[in-house]
Amino acid sequence: MKRLVLPAFCGLFVLSTFSAAGTGPSKAKLEVFPQGIVMSDPREVRRVLISLQQADGSKLDLTGASKLTTTSDVVRIDESGVIHPVKDGVAVIEAAANGMTARFEVTVRGLSEKHPVGFVKDVVPILGKAGCNSGPCHGGAKGKNGFKLSLRGYDPAFDYGALIQDLSGRRFNRADPAQSLLLLKPTMGVAHGGGLRFPVSSRYYNTLVQWIREGVKLDDEKTGAVTGIKLFPSDILMNKSGLSQQMLVLARYPDGSERDVTLESTYVSSTPAVAEVSDSGLVHSLRKGESTIQVRYQGQVVSVPVTALPDKAGFQWTQLPQHNYVDRLVDEKLKRLWIVPSRLCSDAEFMRRVSLDLTGLLPRPQDVRAFLADPEPSGIRRSKLIDRLLASPEYVDHWTLKWGDLLQCNRRFLGEKGLWTYRSWIRKSIAENKPYDQFVREIVEADGSTFGNPAANFFRATREPKVMMETVSQVFLGVRMMCANCHDHPFEPWTQRSYYEMTAFFGGVALKEGAQSDEEVVYEKRQGYEIRHPKYGYEVTAKFPFGNPAQLDTHGERRKQFAQWLTSKDNPYFANAIANRIWSYFFGRGIIDPVDDLRPSNPSSNPALLAALAEDLKRANFDLKHLMRRIANSRVYQAAYTTNEWNEDDGTNFSHQRPRRLAAEQLLDAVALATGTALNFEGVPKGYQAQQLPDSKIAVGGFLDLFGRPPRESSCECERRGDISLGQALNLINGGVIADAIADPDGRVAKLVLSGAGDQKIVEDLYLATLSRMPDSGEVRLSVDYLKGGNNRAERAQDLLWALLNSHAFLFNR
Amino acid sequence: MLVIPGKMGTLCDGTTRREFLRVGGAALFGMNLPQLFALQAHTLSTAAAKGIKKGFGQAKSVILLFLQGGPSHLDIWDPKPDAPSNIRGEFKPIKTKVPGVLLSETMPMLAEQLDKCILIRSMSYTPEGLFNHTAAIYQMLTGYPPDKVSPSGQLEPPSPRDFPTAGSQISKLKPPDVSMLPFVEMPRPLQESNVIGKGGAAGFLGKAYDPYRLYQDPNKPIKIDDLALRSDVGEGRLKGRFELLKGINSSMKDLEKAVSSTAVDEYYAKAYDLVLSGKARSAFDLEQEPAAVRERYGRTTFGQGALLARRLVEAGTRLVQLNWPAVANGNPEVDAFDTHAANFGPLKNLHCPILDRTLSALLEDLDQRGLLNETLVVAVGEFGRSPRLGVSTSGNSNAPDGRDHWPYCYTALIAGGGIKRGEVYGKSDDTASAPKEDPVHPTDLLATAYYALGIDPAMEILNDLNQPRPLVKGEPLVTLFG
Repeated sequence: MKRLVLPAFCGLFVLSTFSAAGTGPSKAKLEVFPQGIVMSDPREVRRVLISLQQADGSKLDLTGASKLTTTSDVVRIDESGVIHPVKDGVAVIEAAANGMTARFEVTVRGLSEKHPVGFVKDVVPILGKAGCNSGPCHGGAKGKNGFKLSLRGYDPAFDYGALIQDLSGRRFNRADPAQSLLLLKPTMGVAHGGGLRFPVSSRYYNTLVQWIREGVKLDDEKTGAVTGIKLFPSDILMNKSGLSQQMLVLARYPDGSERDVTLESTYVSSTPAVAEVSDSGLVHSLRKGESTIQVRYQGQVVSVPVTALPDKAGFQWTQLPQHNYVDRLVDEKLKRLWIVPSRLCSDAEFMRRVSLDLTGLLPRPQDVRAFLADPEPSGIRRSKLIDRLLASPEYVDHWTLKWGDLLQCNRRFLGEKGLWTYRSWIRKSIAENKPYDQFVREIVEADGSTFGNPAANFFRATREPKVMMETVSQVFLGVRMMCANCHDHPFEPWTQRSYYEMTAFFGGVALKEGAQSDEEVVYEKRQGYEIRHPKYGYEVTAKFPFGNPAQLDTHGERRKQFAQWLTSKDNPYFANAIANRIWSYFFGRGIIDPVDDLRPSNPSSNPALLAALAEDLKRANFDLKHLMRRIANSRVYQAAYTTNEWNEDDGTNFSHQRPRRLAAEQLLDAVALATGTALNFEGVPKGYQAQQLPDSKIAVGGFLDLFGRPPRESSCECERRGDISLGQALNLINGGVIADAIADPDGRVAKLVLSGAGDQKIVEDLYLATLSRMPDSGEVRLSVDYLKGGNNRAERAQDLLWALLNSHAFLFNR
Repeated sequence: MLVIPGKMGTLCDGTTRREFLRVGGAALFGMNLPQLFALQAHTLSTAAAKGIKKGFGQAKSVILLFLQGGPSHLDIWDPKPDAPSNIRGEFKPIKTKVPGVLLSETMPMLAEQLDKCILIRSMSYTPEGLFNHTAAIYQMLTGYPPDKVSPSGQLEPPSPRDFPTAGSQISKLKPPDVSMLPFVEMPRPLQESNVIGKGGAAGFLGKAYDPYRLYQDPNKPIKIDDLALRSDVGEGRLKGRFELLKGINSSMKDLEKAVSSTAVDEYYAKAYDLVLSGKARSAFDLEQEPAAVRERYGRTTFGQGALLARRLVEAGTRLVQLNWPAVANGNPEVDAFDTHAANFGPLKNLHCPILDRTLSALLEDLDQRGLLNETLVVAVGEFGRSPRLGVSTSGNSNAPDGRDHWPYCYTALIAGGGIKRGEVYGKSDDTASAPKEDPVHPTDLLATAYYALGIDPAMEILNDLNQPRPLVKGEPLVTLFG
């Protein structure tokens, strides 16, 4: 990672020349951050950021190109520009870069006071920086060669015990600290599988020597634990690629003191192709785009957005019409990133897209004709169409399928009768547009017979308290808690303890056999409902997650209280999760993506937009149709997939639509509609559409599964697959489903040919039935020529239908 | 969902891998699948070119003869003539082409071909809790122990959360260079009781990477409708359709560009080629083989399956997994390897004659055709069988002449793809109960197969919870390569 320093330097040179010319030397000014540094601990070091204020208001980082000097003997400045305290006093330091200078003061006081080394404050960060507690080394589940530390130091108490008690304390030699295993191993004084981690007499080495000499003390949690970290700068904007920015990380302690932990922090870039970050916090932009740098130190996590603008000139913002706040908030982001949004798609494209997204089905040919012929202005027609689709019975089918996936409507868990009961309840809830919060409350609070109270089937599908909690969390909060079952989440604020605190809300939920065959009854146990911490064994009390201060009423029913908290308008996760999920169904990706993996380290591509959608939904009392209507009416949703030179690379900011392969059920239903044939599944009435199937246990192993129908074994959105495979291509070009449907004697082609339709009519009808639009003149010519090119008219028409069904324009929702 | 090819940052072994690239869904990276594949090919060949790794990437394909059921190592590969009678069993040892290495008398034909392979006689692992077939199979083929095992040792049915089976990983990480099925499984799914297909699917990679499942008896005429051109659509008509399709697609250029990241056209081209070239169809056509060759492999499901496996790897398939045809069902008259009862008669008269003939034929045939150097052959079960007769080790009841499950010590045969010839690796103790030297975990064997194909077994992939995990937690047996 060290190589990054050099290009940083080169990039700077060019830009700073430009900057000096633009602003004139009198205005150019070096800035030093932070000011007012006070040091008192002899082990402490400090860095400063040096930047140049540019004409356009932006700052250019010169830290790597600057030199610090001082005549004072109060501090020492090493070759990498790091400031070390030497004795009490005030030092004036001069920073020079790019022919300019700036001065700042550093105060050293109290250096001679006692500064004992603390385990949590001083030692654990060293174990982290040296990699000792990383996953492949001693932080792994089983440690390494008999020495185990907690993963990335999340459990300092455990680590302390591991160091002190294991090997009967052989890791330390208090009489001769240098002979301690803790020092011999990482310095390769004795053989070490992990190699050299730091050299003898380095700063880390000296700190550990002092710690051992002082008697390997565990510091007070109150003084040693970090209370927060601050990152500078808090937002990184690069005018072009190839630039660099040094970051500075300060940790704050309970006594109010701060420490520079830039070197000891861990940095991860969300999109390394756009911005790389070195181990020492130097961000280097590689190409235009966005990334997020996540910085971690001692369990604290903070993220910084990085934006690199395109290198080319000539960006001009063209304001397209804004239909509602969605367009305004997307535009604000696009403008900042120099992205020009795509224009509206055609009416025909819109109709196809919105029909698939709201009802899962292609529009019928006659509806397409009517829509295109309607003389009303396009905007009004589109809004009316949205309303009509939202009120249609197909809407109910489509969203029953979606919720059936998420709630695991699966006869393997529910039995045959349970399956149909649960599904009917979901259908009814969607048909009456039950407010989403109420829908969720009815599920989470459900008790009693799975036949009498269908929502109770949720617990029949999930069965164990931990799975109940995990499922509730993933589906309704968009948070995956599974990892915290076994360990604190290494990058996220949720801990193993919070996993069990949340599980405790479901600790009493149990199932027993009902009176009828295959009936189960959900009830709350009166005893034996305690949830224990798996590692420490104590009983965990239910507690609302994510640092929520709400207090549990210990006399009330825990699950009811949880449901109230969960669905409350004050719970930001609840509205955000569903708004984000619904959004993703209209764009193929969430504002935060994956949609059921909300966490600080998974950055939102447009926080303001998600907040506005969530707010809108809350104001509408969780009316999901209201939210869908808002999204579908936006210009952003109605944008074309055709890109321009400024947005062709954009995949995350919704500057254009992105074609999505039709989902399994959509594809099969579209084939049926296009070919004019009826599907015939076993176990349901003939003519049942694929999206009306009650679960995935019908037509197992066939077309639907090949195209990624979710088996409903979990509630993860990821179960539904939208990718393309060789097997799918084989099936479409040579498989029975398409072949039989186009040649069906009662199908569309057979009827058209029998009716004696002319070439033009055949081509138009087939285009309408597959691509939901009229062919243009070139397309008519191509197809008519093909029809005329052979003797068997029916076969030629079948070929045309085959080709249309295999075309991009059919396979994708675009 | 993958990271190629190394780990992030500094590794515990002190090395830093520079070719680090994390792909969280290729599209995020602005890279489509073909580009991704090209990049992989590049990084892998660099690793091989560095020359650190003997035999890395020498195999083009793998034929896995998966002897499901757990064959008795004592009665097949690792005879112990000096052990007490309730251990050594009924069979006598025989000499082989390799001086000093004995096989059981049940394997006379293999004895003549033993100079082409290595016997690993120190396969060993200690399962957690009760173990049954499915848990063992899952671990062996995915490289990971299953996370949910019922008190009786049964597993949940296959799930999209499962770790992908080896063939699926290979399909993704090293797709065939030609238009061919990457991964074929036959002639039946993996199975124990009612749990079918566990450990044999693509799991969190998605069904696109599932095996091509030929659940038919290759000793009978094979039906492969989806690969055969339909009778109502001749070659000319299919070509005409594709011309028309091209015309239709090209009238929407913007859409063509917008969907290019899904590689839809590449998949269509491959599928078209597969159907039209007849290559796969022809590979499945065993009638093309001379009668003598078919006889040599044996006119059995297993024998013809192995012959088909050879034809498939010749056509470009990366992994052919031939599961032992008979499933354990407690009936000693069936040639299943799960010999809780009647271990000897059936082994001698049913199983071993088939295994002996087929395995020896495969090694001989591959070698004669010059294919052995680029084809890794592995024959192994999910465990061995208890050295002592008539004891219960798995909770199952056993007849006095039966042997129970025994994961602590068993044998694997490995050949080709750069593997040395005519050696024995590892040693079992006097009763074949435990390894005496060089124990090999089944995950090490899996790592060796990945390694032979030029896939770094330590590369990180992201599981269903986006947690980084090594491809397999095992070490490749680099010393096996010549």
